[in-house]
Parts: sequence; structure tokens; C-alpha cells
Amino acid sequence: MAQSDMNTSDTTRPDRSARLGGLIRQIPTRVWVVGFFLLLVPSFTGGFVQYQIFGWAFVLGLIALSLMFLGGYGGMVSLVQMTVAAVAGYSVAIFGTSGVSEISMGWPWYVAVIMAIVMGTLFCVATGALAVRTEGIYTIMITLAIASAFFYFTRQNYTVFNGFTGFNRVLPPPVFGIDWRAPTPFYYLSLFCAAAGYFAVLYVSRSPFGLVLQGVRDNPRRMAALGYSVNAHRIAAYAFSGVLASIGGILLVWSNGQISPGTASIGPVIDILVIAVIGGINRPIGAFIGALVYVLLRTYSLDFLEALNLSGERFKLLVGLGFLIIVYWSPDGICGLWERFGPKLKPRSARGREPGREPGREPGREPGREPEGGNDA
Amino acid sequence: MKRYMNRHPLWSLIFVAAGFVLIWLIFAIWPPELIDLIGKKKVFVNALFNGITLGGLYFLVASGFTLIFGLMRNVNLAHGSLYLLGGYIGYEVSDLTGSWVLAFPVAFIAVGLVGMLLQVLVFRHLDGQDLQQTLITIGISIVVADVLLWIWGGDFYQILAPDFLSGPVETFIQTGVKRSSGEPIFLKYPAVRLAILFAATVIGVGMWLILNRTRIGMYVRAGVDDREMLAASGVRVQLIFVCVFGFGAGLAGLAGVVGGTFQSIAPGEDMRFLLSSLVVVIVGGMGSIPGAALGAVLVGLAEQFGSVYMPTYSVVLTFLIMVLVLAFRPKGLMGRG
Amino acid sequence: MMLDPPQKGDEIGNEYALELKGVSKQFGALNALSDINIRIKPGERRAVLGSNGAGKTTLFNCITGDFPPSAGKVLFFGEDVTEFPAHERIRRGLRRTYQISLLFNGLSVHDNVYLACRGVSRGRFSLRRPHPGDALVQAADGLIAIANLENVRDVMVSDLSYGQQRQLEIALALAGAPRLVLLDEPAAGLSPSERKELISILNRLPEHMGYVIIEHDMDVALRVADRVTMMHNGRIFKEGTPQEIENDPEVQALYLGGGHE
Repeated sequence: MAQSDMNTSDTTRPDRSARLGGLIRQIPTRVWVVGFFLLLVPSFTGGFVQYQIFGWAFVLGLIALSLMFLGGYGGMVSLVQMTVAAVAGYSVAIFGTSGVSEISMGWPWYVAVIMAIVMGTLFCVATGALAVRTEGIYTIMITLAIASAFFYFTRQNYTVFNGFTGFNRVLPPPVFGIDWRAPTPFYYLSLFCAAAGYFAVLYVSRSPFGLVLQGVRDNPRRMAALGYSVNAHRIAAYAFSGVLASIGGILLVWSNGQISPGTASIGPVIDILVIAVIGGINRPIGAFIGALVYVLLRTYSLDFLEALNLSGERFKLLVGLGFLIIVYWSPDGICGLWERFGPKLKPRSARGREPGREPGREPGREPGREPEGGNDA
Repeated sequence: MKRYMNRHPLWSLIFVAAGFVLIWLIFAIWPPELIDLIGKKKVFVNALFNGITLGGLYFLVASGFTLIFGLMRNVNLAHGSLYLLGGYIGYEVSDLTGSWVLAFPVAFIAVGLVGMLLQVLVFRHLDGQDLQQTLITIGISIVVADVLLWIWGGDFYQILAPDFLSGPVETFIQTGVKRSSGEPIFLKYPAVRLAILFAATVIGVGMWLILNRTRIGMYVRAGVDDREMLAASGVRVQLIFVCVFGFGAGLAGLAGVVGGTFQSIAPGEDMRFLLSSLVVVIVGGMGSIPGAALGAVLVGLAEQFGSVYMPTYSVVLTFLIMVLVLAFRPKGLMGRG
Repeated sequence: MMLDPPQKGDEIGNEYALELKGVSKQFGALNALSDINIRIKPGERRAVLGSNGAGKTTLFNCITGDFPPSAGKVLFFGEDVTEFPAHERIRRGLRRTYQISLLFNGLSVHDNVYLACRGVSRGRFSLRRPHPGDALVQAADGLIAIANLENVRDVMVSDLSYGQQRQLEIALALAGAPRLVLLDEPAAGLSPSERKELISILNRLPEHMGYVIIEHDMDVALRVADRVTMMHNGRIFKEGTPQEIENDPEVQALYLGGGHE
């Protein structure tokens, strides 16, 4: 947990600029290196890599990040995040413009975007309010059921969601005269949103709210005995993750240019969990690593599988097996593997900041079970 | 039952009244005003019967799911895959041997063995790590779905029911009167569905009896209530776990044959049945067999009545039931606490 | 049910810090608590004695709302809190410690106390990071001083000794403005010197702050309590001053006798 960030003994209260400077100094070198590399990617790659690999990975990573926030810091593994993204995506199409002019209201893009974030977040909060009434592993079941209900509903409903076909020609607005669907602009747009989401999660996780949330994850009963409303904090976490997923959903619908029930069918809903777990569900960066691996697999596994004389359709098999291996042997995902076998660069300072690393909490263990809980069923 | 009536006299009254209304709706000849209001009696009774038989199928799938969860705290999200596997095995068996009846034991045993293997090879090593177990079952469901697609392709398979069950039978429920002759018309209903309903009832009652009247059932119930106590009592817990996992998986395989007979088997059905199991178990209460039965019938009825009376929103009805239960009884209708 | 003789304050109605009326708790067929009636005045220090399984911790859980009683009422300063969730009771000035330490092992002592202080203040959802000048940070330091933990202020909880963890439990329960603190066996497992320190911490608490302490050790109980309640098999067995309880032949036979084999 964020033990070093709460250390408040050694300094007197600094002024605002010094605090900002301190915040910037807290960013480790490797983040700077990765940041500069990502800024320079478009200078040496083609449109395909920028749009289909990185752009897609940033968008999926942002949605997976919203799951990581709930799962890693809140102990609530929600399968509804892709659905939240789809709600936001549908909202952009419904309130803004699309090829289905009978339904789309054609409001200005900024209103549509705000409405999309509001709708997505409200949906996420409503789901959360239902899910937090039960404990632990029920969350997966309830959120999966809600996600699938949404999928079947959008497929049946033609008046609002336009049924099976959904909405096409949902395009980003030409702000500043730029076509944001062109590879390089979309690359920077999605990079900006992903980075903003990443740093927002880092910041929130170290704020008092984030700390309380982690306390709720590790020991809900104690937190209630300290005066915290456990459910209110959990629902607030859903709200924050809802904002992240909604932004991801808007980007997703813009990059695809369309949205349909398939966007949030059971497959993609579970893929988000797969992404977060493959990357490492206890770390914000894991969501993006997982997304990149997933996108690379999805894009290039065809060649690989054909080299093995298998049909390219076996992509799912590959992902499933990879997922099984990761879950079974490295519950901390690729990040965990890196920590175990990778170069040992300042291992201690790097570890102290990550959630779920404190002694006594084994990774991947179901949080929210307290030692005294035997008789309060 | 008596305690419930004492505690909630109003609800008991409502339930009894609803029961009488339902019985009247089934057996009475409907007056014309009612037909004007909600349509023909035949449609209504058919939806009711279809809902109950569908509930029977859902019960077969969900009871294994809830048993496994109740005892091992393992949310087996690969349960739908076991259902689908059972369906394919049943199809192959009945196709090869021509015996529909033989498909059931073979599917039950084969899928049951798969379940036992899963418990022995994977889940035994992850005891107590709920989240990891659940993630593993998700991975298994992805892999199994793709392997099944690889082997059997994307086609629809239908398991043919034997001749003696293929036609409709005439029931004793009168739906109307022939205008010409004044003779009563009785509802005709597919025999195979009645057989399925009968089988689901027998299995349900059998499970209840085993759980409540036998020694192993006692261990299982004790384990559902308090796992530590079961472990401390010196019973070979792992053996019971393996048996229950095998039995639950076998039921899913059996249900696959049933589903393949009166619906069909195709990719995607695994998720459909997993989801219906989830809703059934959320509604009925985790780990409770009577809860699974109640939830299955409710969901089956909601689906059938929804598709008859509000076709575009039938999913909403099922979903609404789930939301209401979660909002007012988070542990399910029959859940403890 | 027999009524207690009228005492002063009955007419005001909110004279009692804590009042239990006919509280019962069943776990399945087991009656963990049956018909408990207790009245505790503001500022009173009450010890609850009883053998294992007498229902002491269950009593605490019913008072704090960790789980609700099956029957009966819990009044806190005259207010019926029976249906309140745990955190609402805490915000009204009720506090508790746990028998098994429920601390945040990955956090420092100061952060643990800081969380406790924030829990009973406003801004529980704050996104602003704490700074040394903040009132809550200073309040936390004050509590650390009361619990004699200044020298381990920035040590991770997992690195504390057992006795220090018990002291930290008490510090967490003193955050904010507690009006009544429930202490669940704070002395269990402590060495004699740690025990002495605990007693001195308890005796130094401000006078208006009442507490209820579960204690096995009669000696400790008699030194920190004004009144003693004996529990047995989920019922109240005896109630009185420490001297009355100590000299009661029934109590000696049932409870103290066990220590003299």
C-alpha cells in the first residue's frame, strides 16, 4: 500500500509550486522513458501500428484500468466495465450524430460526450449499488448477469438502441479541423486519455479516499468500526471507475465508427477481465500491458497459428490457454512475472507503492474475508 | 412454512390468493372478457407449461452450479461449457447407437468425470482462493468453447427424441369448446417436454432426499453451512468435494442432452445456460437446492410469459426479477440471512 | 421481566450512555445471548467478566452493529440505534477494539491512526493528500502519544510487537470524540509490564469517557472498573461493584474457583 506517501513527519507544509515539483519528482525515471518513447512512436511507425495496435491498446487499457481500479484497490472484480463503456458509446451515438438519423438527436458533440460520461457513470453506479449489497465473489456473478442482460436488451430493443444493427457512422467531431480518426491524431488522443486515466488512478489511490478504499478491501468490518460507510466507499469507487470506462467507451465507438450489441457481448466483457488479469490486476500499468499483449496476440496470432498449421480461428484457444497459465502460475500477471524474473531495478522502492503488496495478503486471494468472520453469516 | 406464515401473514395471504387465481386460470373456461383482455387461454396455458418445463431444464443446470458453489465456494463459470459438452456427447451417442435413452448416462458419466478431473487436477490446489478459482473457470470456459467449436463446428445439432415421445399428448386441461359441436377442446402438449419435466422433478426430489436423508448428504449440508466444521470432523473432505463436483458437472452434462432434445446444441449455448444459471442462483439463493428450483421456475416462467406477452422486453422481465431480489433480499429468496 | 429499582435519571431518559433492553442473539439453534439488560452511565467504567463462550464478544458485536441482535433494543445516549449500521453508531461516539487485532498491516502506525481519525471526521471521500499541518494529522499524533507509541510512529504495523499492536488498537478506538469505548480483552496475551502500561493508559483517560472492558484477568478488571458484570452462558449472572463481585460466593464458586486448582 501507499505507505511512503502518507509519511508526513519530515517536512513542514510546502507551498503549492513546491508540492507540484515534489509530485513531478516522485515520478520514477522509467515512467519518463516510457512517456517519451510513446510520444515519439508516430515518428517511426505507420498508421496501422499507431491506430490498430497502440490506439486500440490504449482504449482497451483504459477500460481495463477501470476494472483494475475496482478489483485491485477495491477488491471488487466487476465484469460490467465493458458494458459501461458500451452505455457511454451508445449515448454518444444517441445524443450526438450517427448514420441512424431517426434515433440520434444530433446534439453538439461536447454535450453528447458529457451526457455519455454521465450515463455511463450512472449505469456503473447503479450496478455497483446492487453488487455491493453482497460480498466478494458474488460481484463477478451479479455484474456478469447485468452485463449480459444489457447485451440481450440492446439486441431486442429497436426504439432506443436500434437492435441488432446498432449505430454506424458515429464519428469524432472535427475539432480544430483535425480528423481525429486519422491514425496519428487518434494515437495522440487515445494516448492522452490513457495517460490521464493512469495518473488519475495513481493519484486517487494515494489520496485518503484511495487509502480508505484499500482499507475496505482488506478489512471491511474494521473500516465500519472506524466510522466509514463501507458500501458508500465501494459505490464511490464504482462511480470513479465508471468515468474511466465511459471515456474508454467514447473512444472505442469513435475508433470503430460504429456500435452494436456485439460491442458488449459476453466475449468482449470477459476479454476486459482477461486483459486486466494478464497484465496484473494489482497495478494500474498492468491494464495497459495486458491490453497491448491482447492486441498484439489478436493481430499477429493469425500468422503464428498458421505457422503451426492451425486455423486462425484458434485465437481464442491461444488467449484462453495464456490466461489459464497466467492465472495459475502468476496471479500478479505479467507485472508479477517481471518482478519475479525481470531485472531487479530498485525492487524495494518500486514495490512499496503498489497495492496489494503488503505482507500477509497473498496476491489473487479473495479479499474481504476477515479472520473473525466465521460466525456472522 | 408455519413460521413463515406467522411472521409474514400478509405475504402468505397474497401467495395463497395468487395460487388460487392460477389454479382457476388453468382449469376454468375463460369468460370472453378475460380473453379480450389477455388473449386466448391456450396461449396462456402453453406459456405456463413451457415456462415450467424450461424451468425444469434450468433447474438441472443450475442445481449443479449451486451445489458446487455452496460446498466449495467455487463459482464455476465453466458450468455452461460442461452443459454444451454434455449436449455434444449426447448427440454423438444417440447418433451412433440410435438410442436416446443411452445418451443420458453416457453424458452424465463422461461430463461427471471431466468435472472430477477438474477438481482433482486444478481446484484442489487452489482451495480457499475464490477469486483465482473463478478466474480459472473463466479460462476453462474460453478454452473449452473453442475446442468444442473446433470439433463440432458452428452448426446446430438436434438430438432426436424416440418415437414414443415425439408426438403431442392430450392433457386433461380444457382450453375451450368447439363451436360446431360443443365438444370440449383439450390442450395438446409435446410428450417429450412432459417427460423432461417429470425427469427434472424426479431428480430434484431425489437430490433433496439424498441431501436430507443420507449420511453423505448430511456431510454436504454441513459443509455448505460451515466448511471448517466439516474439515474438523475428520470426514475426507476432498473425497466429498470430488464427488459433488463430479455430480454437479454430470447434471450439467445430462441437462445438455435434455437441452439438445427439446431445443438445440450450438456454440453460444454454453454462455446462455451459464447466464440463466447465474440468474437462477442469484434469485433462488446461493447453495440452496429448493432455491434453485424456485429460481429456475421463476426465470423459466418470466422468459416464456415475457416472450408471449411482451416480446421486445422479455429479457427485461428476467432482469427485473433479479434486480428486485438483489435489492430486497441480497442473499436470494431462499438464501440464509 | 423484573424492573430495576428506579434510579436517578430515569425521568430524563437519556441519562444512560448505553442501555440494552432484552437483547438476545441466536446463531441457528444456539442462544448466544438471552435477554440481556444492561445500563451504563456516562463516564462509567464497566468490566464484563465471564468464561469463554459466555457471550461477551457477541454482546459487543450486537452493541456496535457488527451484527444485529435477534431481539431487543440497543440505546446509545437515549437514541435507539438497534437498526443503525455500524458506521452510524461509530459516528455517534461509540468505539470498540477487537480481540483479534484487526489492523492494517501494510500501513504505518501513524497511517492507521490517521484512518481512524478520518473515519469519524468529515472528508472521508477526500482526494486531497494529508499534510503535516492538517488537524487530522496532528490529532493522530496526539493519540499516538496517549497510547505511548511515539517511538514507533512510522513503523509498519506488521513490524510491531504484540503488545504495541494491542496499544494501537486502543489508540484507534480513541479517535475523534468517543463517548463510550468497548474494549475486547485488551490485556489478553500481554506480559506483566505491558499489562501495567495498559492499565496506566486506561487510568489516564479523561473522566467523561466511559468504557466497557472484557477481561479475563480479575486483577486487571478490578483495577480499571467501577462496576462489574458477570456473564454466564449468554445471560447476565451478577452485577455489582468489584468488591461485591469478588466476595460473592456464587461468583467464586463458578469463576474464580477455576483459578485455584
